[in-house]
Amino acid sequence: MIGLYSWRKLLSFALISVLVFAALFWIFDTLKDSFLKVVRDNQRQLVTVLAESAPRDKELAEDWITAVNKEFNEADIIYVHGVPGWDELQVFTPNEQLRTFYESNYSSEDFEKALESVYYLENYYSSLEYSFEGKSVSLVLAPLIDETRYDMTGFLVFLMSAEAGENYTNLLNIFMIGAFAIFAIIYFISKFFRDPIMGYVIMGLFLMVGIFVAYPLFEAVRLTFLEDGKFSMQTWITILSSKQYLNALWGSVKLGILTASFSTIIGFIFAFVINRTATRGKKFLSTMGLLPVISPPFSLSLSLILLFGSNGLITKQILGLKDFTIYGLGGLTAVQTIGMFPIAFLTLSGVLQAIDSTLEEASLDLNGSRWRTFSKVTFPLAIPGVLSSWLLVFTNSLADFANPLLLAGSYKVLSVEAYIEVTGRNRLGHGAALSILLLMPTLTAFLVQRFWVSRKSYVTVTGKPSSRLSDLVSKPVKFGLITFIVLFIVFILGLYGTIVAGCFVANWGIDYSFTLKNITEALQRGRDAIVDTFTLSAVATPFAGLIAMMAALVIVRKKFAGKKVLEGLILAPFAIPGTLIGISYVLAFNKPPLILVGTGAIIVINYIIRELPVGVEGGVATLRQIDPAIEEAAQDLGADSTTVFRTIVLPLIRPAFISGMSYTFVRSMTAVSAIIFLISAQWYHMTVLIYNFSESIRFGLASVLSTVLIIIVFGAFGLMRLLVPKNEYMEKNVTLN
Amino acid sequence: MSKTSVSVRIENVTKVFKDVKGKADVIAVNNANFDIEPGELVTLLGPSGCGKTTTLRMIGGFELPTKGKIFLGNEDITFLPPNKRDTATVFQSYGLFPHMNVFDNVAYGLKLRKLPSKQIKDKVMSTLDLVGLKDLAQRAPSKLSGGQQQRVALARSLIVEPSVLLLDEPLSNLDALLREQMRVEIKRIQKTLGITTIYVTHDRVEAMSLSDRIIVMKNGIIRQIGSPNLIYEDPNSKFVAGFVGKVAFLPVEVLEIGETCKVKFEEKTVEVRKFSPEMSPGDSAVIMARPESLKLVDPSKGMIEGEVATNIYLGGSLESFVTTDHGEILVQIDNPAEKKVFAEGEKVSIAIIPHLAKVLPDKDE
Ligand SMILES: Nc1ncnc2c1ncn2[C@@H]1O[C@H](COP(=O)(O)OP(=O)(O)OP(=O)(O)O)[C@@H](O)[C@H]1O
Ligand SMILES: [Mg+2]
Repeated sequence: MIGLYSWRKLLSFALISVLVFAALFWIFDTLKDSFLKVVRDNQRQLVTVLAESAPRDKELAEDWITAVNKEFNEADIIYVHGVPGWDELQVFTPNEQLRTFYESNYSSEDFEKALESVYYLENYYSSLEYSFEGKSVSLVLAPLIDETRYDMTGFLVFLMSAEAGENYTNLLNIFMIGAFAIFAIIYFISKFFRDPIMGYVIMGLFLMVGIFVAYPLFEAVRLTFLEDGKFSMQTWITILSSKQYLNALWGSVKLGILTASFSTIIGFIFAFVINRTATRGKKFLSTMGLLPVISPPFSLSLSLILLFGSNGLITKQILGLKDFTIYGLGGLTAVQTIGMFPIAFLTLSGVLQAIDSTLEEASLDLNGSRWRTFSKVTFPLAIPGVLSSWLLVFTNSLADFANPLLLAGSYKVLSVEAYIEVTGRNRLGHGAALSILLLMPTLTAFLVQRFWVSRKSYVTVTGKPSSRLSDLVSKPVKFGLITFIVLFIVFILGLYGTIVAGCFVANWGIDYSFTLKNITEALQRGRDAIVDTFTLSAVATPFAGLIAMMAALVIVRKKFAGKKVLEGLILAPFAIPGTLIGISYVLAFNKPPLILVGTGAIIVINYIIRELPVGVEGGVATLRQIDPAIEEAAQDLGADSTTVFRTIVLPLIRPAFISGMSYTFVRSMTAVSAIIFLISAQWYHMTVLIYNFSESIRFGLASVLSTVLIIIVFGAFGLMRLLVPKNEYMEKNVTLN
Repeated sequence: MSKTSVSVRIENVTKVFKDVKGKADVIAVNNANFDIEPGELVTLLGPSGCGKTTTLRMIGGFELPTKGKIFLGNEDITFLPPNKRDTATVFQSYGLFPHMNVFDNVAYGLKLRKLPSKQIKDKVMSTLDLVGLKDLAQRAPSKLSGGQQQRVALARSLIVEPSVLLLDEPLSNLDALLREQMRVEIKRIQKTLGITTIYVTHDRVEAMSLSDRIIVMKNGIIRQIGSPNLIYEDPNSKFVAGFVGKVAFLPVEVLEIGETCKVKFEEKTVEVRKFSPEMSPGDSAVIMARPESLKLVDPSKGMIEGEVATNIYLGGSLESFVTTDHGEILVQIDNPAEKKVFAEGEKVSIAIIPHLAKVLPDKDE
């Protein structure tokens, strides 16, 4: 781009920028002035009115001053009875702080001037700035003139809050700088970029991740270092020295380790049987094995509660157990393992497929026993994959919010603890700090998986999977493994069946009679939530799809400064627990300049930002396989960037585009962890309603909504399969939570 | 498809690739200058990695020069994006649109120009006719042979009537026979349309047979520009001489430079008419001897003694490979029937036909 600069162009750019800046400055300055004038007029009016209406009788002063201070919060008011210099002054304040303020300033030079002024029956507007209770205030004194109109009975002291005006002018300054920055960037791009459209896209992406990824995270981190508006380590000291919080951290890690280990073992058994033995019905087994990946949140926990809870079908009705409880570490490990072993299964399947089975055959031919072959050839080759899947599940388990919310009982995990801090105890700082604490192990595991394990893999890839498969295990072992898998699948199907059954049972645990009441009630009470969730997800889907494909194009094909940063910020939400994202959104968008909390927009934006990484990765993978000459040829024939994107890129990466969209849709419909912070009375979410029903022991209603969600999810995936018959991207990507 | 042809001018163009990840910068093109006349077909010839593709991509607008300017006619197009410049590129990998059939591929450029569909149809069919693909209009590109794909790419570029056609090794994916056919085809179409063409290749036969002029490059530097004739017979360096044809280099010392160049070869003094001007007496140099600038004479009658290793009859000519102290030297004998032929194993002497040989400085390969 260097050559595109010339002195003349740079000069004219600078000149126009300065002119625009001056114009903007003038506009905003005028706005500021007129606003401040309005504020001042209001203050003067208040002073006049109160000075007129204040009681001249000091007996009434006490009551009056309390009432007035309660009524008007734009000023703190002090009532003083007596004429300065003549009488003993009697001071009436609603609280001690105000009295102290008055007394400590009484003898100042400014006050002397003020008293002189009121003595001559004139209002006094101090030009000095005072500070009261950490806020800056301006001082006004007004005489209380008696009915003679020549004498005074006392005066009022106003501490006018300067904040309203300041907030407003700050906001105006932010808007002015923002407007100028946007103008300058757009103007710069259009003047100096060879391909301005791409320039705008890149700028748009930067703005997007800047505002909706970096800024909220920054706000969350900032809050944890603040106490009463000042820098302080207090939050972190509290968190890191509190047994309760450290327990929660350890609880999360312990749960993560257990879930990751069980999931990897079960995932490996599935992957091994399907890729390394000759078994019939593999396709069915592997589909069943992937089922839990797309099950909506709460549904597995819910059915576990229905079966093994304190009123559970199995625990109470069938076995009659008294002391058994599903709530806690055991139940959580079980439900997370069922929900997350498919991640391990997918990862390990990929790894086993990539291992050239001729290596194993060579070992078998050399008279290695089956066990030797497995332990000396297959397993060592699969170790990087095993580690990788362990870390992936670990990350997911730590970030999981929905299952612990229902099933943790008294067991503490960080994600739920952070949620309780924010919603239950209204301590946003602690919530933010806890979710940042949660990010540490998650991020570590994620980065290790990404940059270390996946690089170390020494899988031998031959490109052509060998068609011959000799069984690597003996008949009895194989039989054992298959029995295990089948039982496991039956159990999973049983869980789903329980949810469906739950829809038709009058009162689970007590009265198992058949009823349709749940359905009508759930659909009636949940109608708004269903419509909201569906609408918001449907709005987010096309945006997420398009933005993901554009970002992929920019990442793969364009060179520009800061590309790594952009890529990092786009992909970051992949590794960040939803709880942290939710809390940071609440922090960042509940105040000017961007007040979004409570709107549907923030939910849509949150969907888009959170599901973008998967779409982008799919797009990047597809684009890497496409010869850049194809796009260059189109451009060469006269197409501009938009046309190339529309007529060439999008059709070529259609599979990634569609799977990215359906993925976004499904994940948005089933989102909980971040969304639970962002919902409002206007925009409710189905998953949260399921949680509410479960909490109030209306399991029938929760079952109905879960079933509805399951149907929608399966419908969306079915539709996608129809549109993109063979879909690899999806299966690779439906993993992270 | 008649359009006045346009010239191309490259002025002091340098391209440096800032290499990522700490590796050194690559100077892909180093201060290149050349002019291409309207309607001319010029090849960029050079070994792999010498900067041919980079040069072509800068003319096409896919890379920006680090320094220098590019002109199309009188217009400075250095910073114009590809879609705004009147060039059309046929890519080495063709870059056909896999999701469109042959017809839509070729029609793409016209559709962008918003021509009426009747007109598009007529033009596409006549262009497909020109490249001999009329019957395959509805095929998907993936169901075409390499040669057919190459012709689709050519048609797709030609149909927008560019002022300049840029071809990047368009024949490198084809087998030898097809390559020869396509060469003739391209030359025919280019001459019919009179379109200014730049053709990148590392195949000297292709360059020789196609071009009006050849630009020989090495390591990003243009080494020589000239007609195939000139490049072959009057190369300016050992590198160019060796790259464009078979050649033997005999080490000599420059004795005297005047109208001709006198050199000393193994105690013998030889006078050669063509020589590079930048040498002075005392320099070590080489005599560039093409197979046809040598002849075989009876032992000790010529300059270099040797023994015939192999004779290959090619009908109109005979190639004799002679083993000498300076390696194996190839001598081409035209009309062998009229000349004395030495049998394999016979001792011979090689003589130089002085007006065909050239003395070159003994620098670089
Ligand atoms: N995008 C790039 N980034 C970095 N270096 C590059 C890039 N493109 C080309 N180069 C380097 O510039 C040099 C010239 O490359 P170029 O493609 O022009 O060679 P070429 O003459 O076309 O070779 P070939 O005959 O192999 O196609 C090479 O050293 C190459 O590695
Ligand atoms: Mg090349």
